Amino acid sequence: MNTTRREVLMFAGGSAVGVLFTPAPWRLITDSALWSENWPGIPAPGHGEIRTRYTNCSLCTAGCAVRARCVGDQPVQLSGVSGHPLTHGALCPFGLAGHHLPYLPSRVKQGPAKEAADAVANGIAKCGAGECVATLDLQPARTASWTYRRAMAALKNGRYVAPSGDSSVAVDLSQARTVLSFGVPVLDGWGTPGNVNTARGGFRLIQIEAVESRTATMADQWLRIRPGSEDALAQALAGTAPIATAADATGLATSEIVALIAQLEHDGPTLVLGSSRLASSGRTVIARREAPVPAEWQKAAPVTALASLPDRSVRVLLIDESAQGEYLPWHTIEKKLVSDNPVIVAFAWSREGYARHANFVLPVGVYPEVAGDIPSAIDSVAATFRIAAPLVSPPADMVKPEQFVAAAAGLATGDTLRERADAIHKAARGSLFTYADAKSQALKDVTADAFWKALNAGACWIDAPDDKAPVAQLAAAGTESRPAEQADLPLAVVVSRELTPGSPILSKLYQESNLRLAPNRVALNPACGLEDGAQAVFETLLGKCHVGVTLDAGVPAGVVQVSGSPAVLDLCAAGVRAKVVRV
Amino acid sequence: MTSANKQIRAARYGMTIDVDRCNGCGACMVACSVENNVPPAHEGATDRKGLTWIRVYKVDNGEEYPNRRTAFVPVMCQHCGNETPCVHVCPQQAVDVDPSTGVVGEMPQRCLGCRYCMAACPYHARYFNWWDPAWPAGMEKTLNPGVTPRMRGVVEKCNLCHGRWHAAKERAAAEGKPDTEPVDYLPACAEACPTGAIHFGDLNDSASAAAKEAAEPESFRLLEKLNTQPKIYYRSKKEWVREIAAAPRPGTGKENTRG
Repeated sequence: MNTTRREVLMFAGGSAVGVLFTPAPWRLITDSALWSENWPGIPAPGHGEIRTRYTNCSLCTAGCAVRARCVGDQPVQLSGVSGHPLTHGALCPFGLAGHHLPYLPSRVKQGPAKEAADAVANGIAKCGAGECVATLDLQPARTASWTYRRAMAALKNGRYVAPSGDSSVAVDLSQARTVLSFGVPVLDGWGTPGNVNTARGGFRLIQIEAVESRTATMADQWLRIRPGSEDALAQALAGTAPIATAADATGLATSEIVALIAQLEHDGPTLVLGSSRLASSGRTVIARREAPVPAEWQKAAPVTALASLPDRSVRVLLIDESAQGEYLPWHTIEKKLVSDNPVIVAFAWSREGYARHANFVLPVGVYPEVAGDIPSAIDSVAATFRIAAPLVSPPADMVKPEQFVAAAAGLATGDTLRERADAIHKAARGSLFTYADAKSQALKDVTADAFWKALNAGACWIDAPDDKAPVAQLAAAGTESRPAEQADLPLAVVVSRELTPGSPILSKLYQESNLRLAPNRVALNPACGLEDGAQAVFETLLGKCHVGVTLDAGVPAGVVQVSGSPAVLDLCAAGVRAKVVRV
Repeated sequence: MTSANKQIRAARYGMTIDVDRCNGCGACMVACSVENNVPPAHEGATDRKGLTWIRVYKVDNGEEYPNRRTAFVPVMCQHCGNETPCVHVCPQQAVDVDPSTGVVGEMPQRCLGCRYCMAACPYHARYFNWWDPAWPAGMEKTLNPGVTPRMRGVVEKCNLCHGRWHAAKERAAAEGKPDTEPVDYLPACAEACPTGAIHFGDLNDSASAAAKEAAEPESFRLLEKLNTQPKIYYRSKKEWVREIAAAPRPGTGKENTRG
C-alpha cells in the first residue's frame, strides 16, 4: 500500500485534534502550574520553633499590649492581649503590622554621628546671649524625655520643647454621658482603641467637623460646620457669643445650635474634646498622678512650648523623631532658628519628616527593636508604665537619641529605664498586670527584680486609683481660625491627622483600596472638576507639592482634605487656604 | 477503619459581621494580609488590581448632608453554600467546597489564571495575582510559615484562614480528640477586629454566637435573591444598609473592570 502525502497530513491533523480530547494537554497544564508554584521567585517562609512573646506597641501613646507569634526569635504576627484592663485585646491596623517596620525600604541606616557630635559641641560653645540649645521631643513624658529635660537643665541655655499635651491630665470616658468632639478623631486613633470601644456604649458622641471623617460616620450626631468655625460654635455653646453669630460662621441653623445647648444641659456629664472654650463637666477630666521618677531627676528643665521661644534664638536644635507624635510644620520651627548656620540634628528612621531640613540625620532603632517606655494614654485615668521590649535586634550603627543628647550636655546617665522602674517599685503602689498569664497582682507583693523582669517580658504597671484626683481641663491643641476668603486660593484646608503608614502591607488600605487617605493624596468633593486618581499640584501660600486626587462625597465643596504626611503638613497652618490644579 | 465508616459531623463555618459596629479602621484587611502572606502592593497596583482577600467598602445612602448616612461593609469570599458560581465555572477543578467545613477552597497549584471565577463571582471577592509576590528585602522573614505564598498569574481569595484551621486540627489530634468533630478556631480578621464586629463560628452549632446572630431578624446576606446561600451574614438595624445589600444602588456601583 502506498502512503500518500494527503494521508500523512490527515493522520497528523486527526491526531492533533484527537489529543485535545484526551487528558494529556490538561495534565501538561496542571504540571506546568505545579512547577511554577515552586519557582525560585517566590519567597519561602522561614521555619522553626513557634514561640509566643509579649511586648507593648510604642507607635503611639495608646501603648497597646502585644502578643507576638514568633518563628524562633522572628515575630511573624502580632495580636492584642485579651484581658488587658486598658487595651482590652485591641490593636489598630498600624500596630498589627508593626513587626514590618525594621524592613522598610526607606529606612535610614547610616548617619554621621561623630560629625554631628562635633557640630553640636561647636554650636553649644558658640551659643551667644539670647540664644539657646533646644531639644524637640515629639512624644513627651517618656523616660527618654526626662533624660532630655535633665540634659537641657545641665546646659545654661538649654530648652526642652514639646509640641503640646499635658501628660498629667487624663480623660475618664466611663464618667461621660455625652462626648462633644470638635474634630477630634475619637474613634480613630485618639485614645486607646480597646478602651474607647469598651466605653463607647456608655456615652453619646456628637462630632463637630467639616468633613465626614471616620468618627463623624460613627457618631450619634454629626454636625457639619464650615472649616475653622469651631471656635465660634464653642463660644456660642459657652454663652460668650450670640447664637446668631455662630450660626453665620458655622453654617448651622440657629435651631440646631439651640437644640445642642439644650442637649448638653440635660445629657451631662459632658466631656469636651478639641476646644478649651467649653468646660467639661463632672469628673470627666482629671489631673492624673504621674508615674514616680527618681528624686535626683527632679532637677530638670521645664517643658517649653515652641511658640514661647523667641524668634531667631535657637542655635542648636536636636529633634527626636524616633517616637511618633504631633508633627509641627517646619515653618513654625524654622522661624525660631538663628539666621546664621544653626545646627539641626534629626534622630529619625525615615527621611520623610524633619530629616529633610536637618544638617545631620542620625539613624535610630524602630519598634520593635529598641527598649523604651510609653507615656500614659490620655484616656487612662491612672498612670501606667509599660516598656516596648525589643523583639528583634537593631542593625549596627543605630544611635540612641537620649544618650547622644546627654553626652552633648555632659550628663552622665545609666540604665534610666531600670532606675525609673526601681523608683516606681519603691513607691509600692498600684498593680502589675502580666500578659503571659493575664494576671494582676499588687506591686508591693513583687520584688524589684521580678518587677523589672516582668516589664521586659510583657507587663503593665497601673497606678492605684486616685479618687481624690482634682478635676482639670484639657488644653486644646490650637484655636482654629476661619480661613479668609482668597480668590486665587478657593479651598479651605482640613487636615486629617493619622499615623504615617509604616509597613508596606498598609498599601491594602492606602493604595489597593481607598479606605484611608494616602499620605500623598488630597480628598475633594466629586463636583470639583477633577477625576478620581488624577495627579495634581496642591498649593498654599507656604508652597506647593505634587499630590494625587481622591474624590469623596464626604468632603463638602470648597474644602480640600489633606493627609498627615510631613510634606503636605509643612504647607498647612491655621486658616490656610489652598488650590489644587491638575498637572 | 475506612472513612465511610466514620460518623463525620460536618461543620458549616461562617461569620456574622455587625455593620453598625464596623468603623472602617482596616485592621481586618491588615491582619488578613499578614496571616495569609498576601504581598504588599506592586508599584502599579490600584484598587482595581490590588490583592485584598477582605476589603472594607464605604457605602452611603446617596443623600446629601444632613440626611447623608455612611457605613463600612467588609466583603470577602461569601463561601456560597448553594450552586457556588466559581466552582461551576472553573475548568481546572481548582475551586471546591469542603463538605466537612463548608469552606470554598482555592488551589492555586491548579489554577490556570483564566479568571472565569472572577467573572462568575457576584461579590467581586476574588483577586488575580498580576505580579510576582515580592516583599522588601528582609521582610520575607516575617512571612507566616503556615501559609505558602502564591505565584503570579493565579486567582486567590479568602479561605477562612485555612492554615489556622489546619493548626486547630493538629492541636485537637494532639489532645486526643476525634478527627470527626469540628474544631474551634478563629480567622485573623475576626481576631483582629478591635470593635468586635466580626463573630466566627460553626453555623450548624446552634450554641455558637455566629449561629445565634445569623438567626436573628436583623441579619441578612449580600444579594440574597441570587440564592447562593452565603455563609457570611451581615447585621444592621439600618434599613438603607439592608437595601444596598439586597441590590447595589443604581448608578453608584463601579463597573467591575478589575482583572
